[in-house]
Amino acid sequence: MATLKPMPQATKISAPFWQALKENQVKIQQCNSCDGWVFFPRNHCSHCLSHDLDWKEVSGEGTLYSYTLTRIPTMPEFADEMPQALAVVELAQGVRVNTTLIDVAEEDIKVGMPVKAVFDKVSKDGETLLRFTSVSNDGGVREFKDPLEGLERNDKGQVQVPVSNLAALYALADNEFTPWSNSIVVDQALINAFAELSGDDYWIHTDPERAKTDSPFKTTIAHGSLVQVLQSKLTIALPFEITGFQTMVNYGSNRLRFPAPVPAGSVIKGRSKVQDVSVSHKGVQVTLEMHIHVEGNDRPSVINDLVILYR
Amino acid sequence: MGLAGNAAIVGAAQYKPEKYQTAPQMFHLEQVADLAHQALQDAGLHKDDLDGLVINGPQFHEASVFVPAMAAEYLGIEVNFAEVVDLGGCTAVAQIWRAAAAIEMGLCQAVLCVIPARMAPLAPNEDPAWMAQAMRYGGHSTAYGAPEAEFDLPYGHMGQNTGYAMIAQRYAAQYGYDKSAMAKIAVDQRFNAQYHKDAIFRGKELSIEDVLGSKLVADPLHVLEIVMPVAGGAAVIVASKEVAARAKKRPAFVTGFGERLSFKSPSYANDMTVTPVAEAAKRAFGMAGLSPKDMHAAQIYDCYTITVLLSLEDAGFVPKGEGQRFIKEHNLTWKGDFPLNTHGGQLSFGQAASAGGFSQVIEAFDQISNSAQGRQLKGCDNVFVSGTGGVMSEQGALILQGG
Ligand SMILES: [Zn+2]
Repeated sequence: MATLKPMPQATKISAPFWQALKENQVKIQQCNSCDGWVFFPRNHCSHCLSHDLDWKEVSGEGTLYSYTLTRIPTMPEFADEMPQALAVVELAQGVRVNTTLIDVAEEDIKVGMPVKAVFDKVSKDGETLLRFTSVSNDGGVREFKDPLEGLERNDKGQVQVPVSNLAALYALADNEFTPWSNSIVVDQALINAFAELSGDDYWIHTDPERAKTDSPFKTTIAHGSLVQVLQSKLTIALPFEITGFQTMVNYGSNRLRFPAPVPAGSVIKGRSKVQDVSVSHKGVQVTLEMHIHVEGNDRPSVINDLVILYR
Repeated sequence: MGLAGNAAIVGAAQYKPEKYQTAPQMFHLEQVADLAHQALQDAGLHKDDLDGLVINGPQFHEASVFVPAMAAEYLGIEVNFAEVVDLGGCTAVAQIWRAAAAIEMGLCQAVLCVIPARMAPLAPNEDPAWMAQAMRYGGHSTAYGAPEAEFDLPYGHMGQNTGYAMIAQRYAAQYGYDKSAMAKIAVDQRFNAQYHKDAIFRGKELSIEDVLGSKLVADPLHVLEIVMPVAGGAAVIVASKEVAARAKKRPAFVTGFGERLSFKSPSYANDMTVTPVAEAAKRAFGMAGLSPKDMHAAQIYDCYTITVLLSLEDAGFVPKGEGQRFIKEHNLTWKGDFPLNTHGGQLSFGQAASAGGFSQVIEAFDQISNSAQGRQLKGCDNVFVSGTGGVMSEQGALILQGG
């Protein structure tokens, strides 16, 4: 089973390291108490435990301490890098960094060879991984290549993503919500109709008079499952369309939550984003994270992680 | 300083290594009780003799905390010493010396050391695919703030294979690399496995050409230089000299031990090619007042062939850089002049998760107690045992001596 490549999640401690990479600089910490260099980032010197560390820009030059070429991917989502040139680089300051070598032919890789930093832009937001290459290559920056670029668009402007193009599928999970959908009103008549249909006629949904006094919301509220199914009436403009599959199956929900109530008479709207794309023997599984809000409320009334299976 | 040698291994039990798909599924508590029962029978002791418990914490199926209490409750024993050990493949060795130390301190007289490693049955609503997904990062933490999640996984640094491969490449650059010497480790051990009724690769002999012709996984490691994970589990009873005197078998006294760790990723080792067992073994031999040449067998943790090479050198059996020559010059089988991993090693016996380390401990006990049917060494009194967890990141050593 494959999902997106794992990405670094910066912490308060490490943020300057990742920010520097974004700006095409290598910054590591040096201890003011003992002058020792520290990697990976810490709040304490790994030589003397002093708190007194400063971030210093370094050249990004070093030597190859060791490496291996993988003949089986270490994780399925790294299949596009085969063979992975996993490397340990010792920076000129003496600290070692786990990384990969790029643009070096297999037979040219030698333990001890001098290497230099490559700032590899791995997302369109400029997230940068620190890779290394031979000093005889051009170092510097490897620009992000959007796997969605160059793909055709349909008449709605949606990029056409073939189900076989894994890199492009992974690129869909970009953590950005679509624009908001159209809005619809959830009035008492609709709530009553749903109560009759579902058999859930609990007073909290159906008795406005009693709700005024007894309900914590001081009014009737819509059934969570009503709001959930109303997503069919919300037109959400997904920026992509997956193509080239035999069947598409609604596989259910990984998560369904009703964090905020929808009082009768509310106007609701929705948006979604691709939360995850994974590949297994069952096919390509796309998880759409659907949010429905009452207009004006930042807290969603429905969160639904819908799993759609393409094969 | 250290042990006086007044505690001994007196009994052991070990499940036959089996493929996960076909192995029986048992709850871990159930395995603990079953293995304890078998080990006590092996020792000729009774449940009520037990007053100490050392168990694995991680990967224990029925609990992630309070594991010793739950196990003691299930077994129906009262203990004066309870311990969880979290040292990966070094756990077995680490359990033994902790038990011996507790006994010598007078805390207890008989300690159950145990690691269950068969799969537990799935709950009716448990999804095996989800379980597989949860296991996909293996021993790597994906927790927010975990250095390896932040600085290793994004680059594809994951799993044991590539770490060991990088250690091997560094070694190769410093000392040279003789592929056929490395393959010979696996071949000689496979020979030994033919004489152990439970070895997973019994009945499948191996040649150097087979090893070198097998698939490369991560340069320079071939698939036949890498252990196969199997279902299993093991228990060992460590007891005081007094209790050992009424045990059925010849006890194996714990006369020396050492333990060392200082990193998780070998990338941060001072020197990748000098492994922690160097310090652990030095301490163990010093404690026992013995040296490597006094050993009648070496049961060396062998998750990979490179682990064996480096352990032989760093534990002092052969000078640094000369291990490959040594391997070619000696017959490492139980019939040979340097008996190594006489049960086949985990490479040929099978690696039952962290219980795999017990295979080396138990083989040492089997040889000392004259129980190594069909592969018994003559006059085997002193045995060196090592354990390795993570990527050569946590290592331990034991000196076991027949009483
Ligand atoms: Zn310092």
